[in-house]
Amino acid sequence: MDPTRLTLSELATLLHDREMSASELAVLHLNRIESTDPDVKAYLRVTEDLALSQAEAADRALKAGEAGPLTGIPMAVKDVLCVKGVETTAGSQILAGFRPPYTGTAVQRLFDAGVVMLGVTNCDEFAMGSSTENSSYFPTRNPWNLDRVPGGSSGGSAAAVAAGEAVFALGTDTGGSIRQPAALCGVVGMKPTYGRVSRYGLIAFASSLDQIGPFTRSVEDCALVLDAMAGHDPLDSTSARKPNDVRKRLNDGIDGMKLGVPKEYFEVEGIEPGVKHAVEQALRMLESAGAKLVDVTLPHTDYGLAAYYIIAPAECSSNLARFDGVKYGISEQDEQNVTDLYMNTRRRGFGTEVRRRVMLGTYALSSGYYDAYYLKAQKVRTLIKRDFDAAFEQCDAIVSATSPTVAFALGAKTQDPLAMYLCDVLTLGGNLAGLPGVSVPCGMSGGLPVGLQVLAPQWREDVALRVARAYELASGMRIEPALV
Amino acid sequence: MLARLGLEPGDEEFYAEQLSGILGAIDRLQALDTEHIPPTAQVVEVEAVLREDEPRPSLTQEEVLANAPAKVDGFFRVPSIQEET
Repeated sequence: MDPTRLTLSELATLLHDREMSASELAVLHLNRIESTDPDVKAYLRVTEDLALSQAEAADRALKAGEAGPLTGIPMAVKDVLCVKGVETTAGSQILAGFRPPYTGTAVQRLFDAGVVMLGVTNCDEFAMGSSTENSSYFPTRNPWNLDRVPGGSSGGSAAAVAAGEAVFALGTDTGGSIRQPAALCGVVGMKPTYGRVSRYGLIAFASSLDQIGPFTRSVEDCALVLDAMAGHDPLDSTSARKPNDVRKRLNDGIDGMKLGVPKEYFEVEGIEPGVKHAVEQALRMLESAGAKLVDVTLPHTDYGLAAYYIIAPAECSSNLARFDGVKYGISEQDEQNVTDLYMNTRRRGFGTEVRRRVMLGTYALSSGYYDAYYLKAQKVRTLIKRDFDAAFEQCDAIVSATSPTVAFALGAKTQDPLAMYLCDVLTLGGNLAGLPGVSVPCGMSGGLPVGLQVLAPQWREDVALRVARAYELASGMRIEPALV
Repeated sequence: MLARLGLEPGDEEFYAEQLSGILGAIDRLQALDTEHIPPTAQVVEVEAVLREDEPRPSLTQEEVLANAPAKVDGFFRVPSIQEET
């Protein structure tokens, strides 16, 4: 059996039984990257030396009987998570050459658990996009069809896991940037509750929406990785003091559970019949596993996109003010004028989508427009959150498609920002309301993967994961890497 | 200007056209009556977070300056921002 086709849990068993060493596993993955990544282009940088030294340490822990379930497991990290000494650029030219002086908490917790880092994955610049085509380096390709996008913004992480170039990967999700690429690449991806995972060491896009989460090849693996990252961190005051119970009753099934089906999510603009069909079949399978489907309504769905595209750009325009050519990254040094230093650095460093959003956000926050745009959007955010609160009074979790479409062709939406924004229409509500959401593969349409999204109330990752796990078991689905 | 983006010639027309399209789509929010709806300040319930005010290790000056494009005597170097008087 080719180990790059196994799940994390299966590999952990092999490592613990000493049938394979962590070093051998790391080398197998580095070889897989070397042979496959010239086509997929999931990685921006491969950290071979780090991988081999971490694998050696993992082998010592395994030998000493001090290993945990993640010891020696190879991981890929999205280019927005700081790792000490490893170039981290947020997919942007403005951070070219930046080597963080510290490692962020989520990554550090995985390192402490014995994980082996293979490299840094491609993403849309500052995580702004739904196709990874906004990376200032190169586009990543979908391992299922190299002419298609992998989704985004965490497209490199999704593609790496889908192509067997990593056992799991980390991404970030601000409006769907984990769940949507997971759906398009046929892997599991989860955005936790806002505050579940520390954002310390994450290069911020929109701070009230961003969360870090895993990409895996099984729901069980997803729960395992999330469990290792979650929990309060004194270095992020928005990380919550909550019991870490994300794996609770994972395999208990969904008999008697009520699953809400929001009609608005099945009628959104541009939803493909093939996607709808695959999701409806998945719903029937969940029903046969014992769940009761109930109709729910999310009446403000139509306003979510507009509210999101005020709030997220507003927060990004503020967060990205720090990239000024003074502290890190590229710099257009100017002896005379500090404004020219800022202007010239940002002109050279920021790509089109980032500039568009900084302009939009600056406008929405500017004096005279604040009430009409930003304040209005924050009020609509309240309405959207109330929609979910009301729906969760009738059901335990909400099920829908993750993305209205399967993976689209490279270049299909790059000239039309609004069409690209519509990719997130089914996922961004979860960010606006702070909910946990998981995407699990639920069949194919036209030879490309479709994702089933499960949203749960805040802090109920356990419920979202249990539903996804029940679907995985009922469908008998096994995620194997796409062969490119 | 406010965002210090440093636009190129021609950029203004390009972005003006795209942004007016996006703002047009966003304007649908105005149709909602939100007069009595409070804005979302925090999406999850949070309590005031306080910690003990105790010294703890931080990055060294050298580490902080390691990525600086220009530095002098342990400082970030920038063009002067005030006229000499």
